[in-house]
Amino acid sequence: MKGSLECWSRLLLLLVVSNLLLCQGVVSTPVCPNGPGNCQVSLRDLFDRAVMVSHYIHNLSSEMFNEFDKRYAQGKGFITMALNSCHTSSLPTPEDKEQAQQTHHEVLMSLILGLLRSWNDPLYHLVTEVRGMKGVPDAILSRAIEIEEENKRLLEGMEMIFGQVIPGAKETEPYPVWSGLPSLQTKDEDARHSAFYNLLHCLRRDSSKIDTYLKLLNCRIIYNNNC
Amino acid sequence: QDVCYLLFLGQSPPEKPKLIKCRSPGKETFTCWWEPGADGGLPTNYTLTYRKEGETLIHECPDYKTGGPNSCYFSKKYTSIWKMYVITVSAINQMGISSSDPLYVDVTYIVEPEPPVNLTLELKHPEDRKPYLWIKWSPPTLTDVKSGWFSIQYEIRLKPEKATDWETHFAPKLTQLKIFNLYPGQKYLVQIRCKPDHGYWSEWSPESFIQIPNDFPVKDTSMWIFVGVLSAVICLIMVWAVALKGYSMVTCILPPVPGPKIKGFDIHLLEKGKSEELLRALESQDFLPTSDCEDLLMEFIEVDDSEDQHLMPHPSKEHMEQGVKPMHLDPDTDSGRGSCDSPSLLSEKCDEPQAYPSKFHIPEGPEKLEDPKTNHTCLQAPQSTSGEGKIPYFLANGPKSSTWPFPQPPSLYSPRYSYHNIADVCELALGMAGTTATLLDQTDQHAFKPSKTIETGGEGKAAKQSESEGYSSEPDQDMAWPLLQDKTPLFSAKPLEYVEIHKVSQDGVLALFPKQNEKVDAPETSKEYSKVSRVTDSNILVLIPDLQAQNLTLLEESAKKAPPALP
Repeated sequence: MKGSLECWSRLLLLLVVSNLLLCQGVVSTPVCPNGPGNCQVSLRDLFDRAVMVSHYIHNLSSEMFNEFDKRYAQGKGFITMALNSCHTSSLPTPEDKEQAQQTHHEVLMSLILGLLRSWNDPLYHLVTEVRGMKGVPDAILSRAIEIEEENKRLLEGMEMIFGQVIPGAKETEPYPVWSGLPSLQTKDEDARHSAFYNLLHCLRRDSSKIDTYLKLLNCRIIYNNNC
Repeated sequence: QDVCYLLFLGQSPPEKPKLIKCRSPGKETFTCWWEPGADGGLPTNYTLTYRKEGETLIHECPDYKTGGPNSCYFSKKYTSIWKMYVITVSAINQMGISSSDPLYVDVTYIVEPEPPVNLTLELKHPEDRKPYLWIKWSPPTLTDVKSGWFSIQYEIRLKPEKATDWETHFAPKLTQLKIFNLYPGQKYLVQIRCKPDHGYWSEWSPESFIQIPNDFPVKDTSMWIFVGVLSAVICLIMVWAVALKGYSMVTCILPPVPGPKIKGFDIHLLEKGKSEELLRALESQDFLPTSDCEDLLMEFIEVDDSEDQHLMPHPSKEHMEQGVKPMHLDPDTDSGRGSCDSPSLLSEKCDEPQAYPSKFHIPEGPEKLEDPKTNHTCLQAPQSTSGEGKIPYFLANGPKSSTWPFPQPPSLYSPRYSYHNIADVCELALGMAGTTATLLDQTDQHAFKPSKTIETGGEGKAAKQSESEGYSSEPDQDMAWPLLQDKTPLFSAKPLEYVEIHKVSQDGVLALFPKQNEKVDAPETSKEYSKVSRVTDSNILVLIPDLQAQNLTLLEESAKKAPPALP
């Protein structure tokens, strides 16, 4: 059992590593410097790559939100409707630096994993529905597709980090479920655009949370609060 | 009444204020600024109120002072990230209240740090390495980089004091930078700014100055001295080599463009303009046509008494000199020499009938194309492709078997002639299917070797007879081996013309017929030129009529009856 887990973790590691490198376009360091027989990616490398992916996802989300705002939301006051619209607001995420620093890394990691998992489904539907939007700029659609892929990769990487940092982790905790698909498919165009606006707004926020928490954990665990 | 008085004085409620922006220097606090409108002539108070996402309570600004006039400062206590603030500013005066439009603020997205601090500049001269300017700085205050809460990137720019363009360098994360390649004697200005990983760029820091001393070694000179000496040495070597072998090197690098060359052909003949020499030279070349001729598996027999002599007067000379009586006037006659590749009679490259006409002159390509049918039939006849079992083909030829007749002026050439030739050849081929092998192979030199024909034994004559017979069977064609037109040879002061080779007797006598114009009459009615008078210096074979030819004629007639039986 443990052998197969090791095997899977190595495989996923290679996947995450290679994908992260591809996405970031960085010079790759060898994944298995000691040869294939002794393949152990350090936690430092895992974190480095996870931070890069989360940074990238947040950039994409911000850009996508800005594009959508520019194109569909000018003068509509969608922002007023965006308050309290995120499906992940039930997660007890820290909301300033002090709170975050006082949160244990296990909790932080669980929160990150919960956020990542809870976005799998909405991202899938986001891509589908954005595709169906008439005249949608490619800037929006391409980013939506990219974010969906990156989210999966980051989730896998996080699961590996979680496995290394917290061996014998508990079972996965339940994560918030998104139920906003009907509003994405409504006939009323304004209502639909408003629903998209909310979703992109929440995506931007949650990707920022993930990015910040990961960077905190990276500096805390790897660099001993001396980044 | 008071209001009326105040209005009379020009006072009014304040104008709506406007929130300009909110900024957070470190993602832990933030400040908002507003712009007051007209105060309506009365003292006006401004109040900032806000509401947080997920709450219903309305709060007032906790600090109006720290941020300066018309500002509100939210300390750590009041700052939450990832939460929307709905902020409103109200202006109140005696006349009324005006509220601004609400501003929705999420602190996450309004981060703009201060410029970096503690910018230090230092010149370094390490030994054995290039000298550089070492720039160091610290992250701005209020940004917690150590814990990872705040991630930051830096940008440095510098320029000589009097220059206009900045040299910009990007420094992610590290708080130092090394600059190389500075100009000595210049005073440099250096500035730095920073940006959070998601947020706005800071302002540029105040300028820092550094003076580069005049003796500042910009480059590592020893390397350049070495490079210079090496280059000089290489140049000297090259100059020396060129001087010694200038020409040959030039020809090696830039080989002279090769002139057109025909193998074995001296191009200077063209320069001299001596056509006869030219033609002679040409005819002595291997003008092997392409394998288009191969379709028709014909073989040439070259009539030649010797390796170096031509059997006939050089017709080209005649043509060149006189330009009369082109030998190919008669379309039916085969005045052209077999100009095609020996193994085949048809060749696209065959030129017009040549000075040494042969019966089966293969015309050039276009004509060949005109007669595909003939070609087709021709193809069927031959059995093999090279040399064997081919229709013997007599040529009066030059020294080489594959000699080609030199090109004739186009006027001499008659397309119809060629057509006939093809047809003739084909039919001949078909007819002569059995009478080949011994006859000269095209690979042989100058096919016409009497010994060879004699090899066939007594049948030699018979073969020839049969050939001539076969030829005779073509009333439209010259039956014999036409070599020249039917004119007397040179010695008789008549113009040269082609004659037909009738046969070669056993003692090496060539029996020739004058070329028939339209029809081939019975050989006995022809005059026979069967004796070589002389060979002129231009390789022209001068023949004289031979009384003995009459005897040969008789022989021929008798041999006619014998079936051709050549091995």
